[in-house]
Amino acid sequence: MTISHFCRRLHLYLGLALLPWFLMYGVSSIPFAHGQFFQKLDEARGVPLWQLRSERPYDAPVPENREALLGFGRKLLKELGIEGPNFSVYRANRTTLNVGSYSFLKSTRVVYSLDRKKLTVEDRRFRFDQLLTGMHARGGFERDGFLSKSWGVMVDLVCAAFLIWIGTGLYLWWGLPGHHGWGAVALATGTAVFLLFTLRL
Amino acid sequence: MFSKLLRRSHLYLALFFTPWLVMYTLSTLVMNHRAYFIEKHGRGPVPMLRERELAYHGSFAPDTPPRDIARQILASVDLDGAHSVNRRPDGAIVINRQDLVAPRRLTYTPAESKLVIEKMEPRANAFLERFHRRRGYATGYWLDTLWAVSVDLVIAAMIFWVVSGLWMWWELKPTRRPGLLSVAGGLALFGFYLVTI
Repeated sequence: MTISHFCRRLHLYLGLALLPWFLMYGVSSIPFAHGQFFQKLDEARGVPLWQLRSERPYDAPVPENREALLGFGRKLLKELGIEGPNFSVYRANRTTLNVGSYSFLKSTRVVYSLDRKKLTVEDRRFRFDQLLTGMHARGGFERDGFLSKSWGVMVDLVCAAFLIWIGTGLYLWWGLPGHHGWGAVALATGTAVFLLFTLRL
Repeated sequence: MFSKLLRRSHLYLALFFTPWLVMYTLSTLVMNHRAYFIEKHGRGPVPMLRERELAYHGSFAPDTPPRDIARQILASVDLDGAHSVNRRPDGAIVINRQDLVAPRRLTYTPAESKLVIEKMEPRANAFLERFHRRRGYATGYWLDTLWAVSVDLVIAAMIFWVVSGLWMWWELKPTRRPGLLSVAGGLALFGFYLVTI
């Protein structure tokens, strides 16, 4: 197998195997770039995004310490019977604590109003654009659980794949003698336009 | 002929958009490893460093909207471009100039006729993240609109690379079977993540 043949196959099979990620990152960039359009489209339906599941009285001291706060959020979700692969705890202000349980497909939030001693549980209605943006924005290694962390590894792999596509793509282009000239024009023009944006934006 | 056109479009589009792809890839890596940068630089916004302070004797009617004041100030110090603005309770006008390389904060205090210009401390990770998140249609500046158009074109190109890549793969008969295995494996893994996390 020659280097050129290896590069061709690597370019192809990597593309095919990571096709769902490539497509997801491409398509999900549309609602990011045109967020207001999708927001207005959804608002026109007139259906609230968050739907009330339950309300109940609750009174418990909220810890200040970050680690203890995470433990409090975890315990609260367990008490309410809310299960999900990921959760977040966020002290919105002095009287409000938000605890979220979420996955790519579902999202539930618990709002604990400390002054009113009340828990409100709400479920988020499914929105396809939010599924896409949620997948696009997910990354990092800070979440609990093997699967959540392995998604971070997948993001790294996709990034490595992008660099491999670029590298092998350039190599394959250089192996096509009839296209050196116009290819160099395309590459140089793109680089010049990009530099202009970098320096002038 | 169609196949040749598809191949050439796949190639030349990729060559033109190479810098965008490099930027989006590097910035994604940076964001995926944000914890490393938090450990390195600490949590919170990037510090602003005082660049200069000058007397500014602009005269604005009391009901002048902050956005008009901001545009005039930015133009007068040769920093016009995408920005956001707000008026603090003490009456000071705070302008955040969203320069890609060196974002600045301009604070105009009318009572003292003073303008303080601060520049964000340069950090490669923050620069890449700003680039990744840059939108453009709503700023009202033509260069930002052009940037937003270029982002739309990159999106269209990505979808086109998927479709043209599939087409070119199907034309290579010996690669159909291993290719199908690759597609099926990728789809299965992606589907698994979709329903589990």
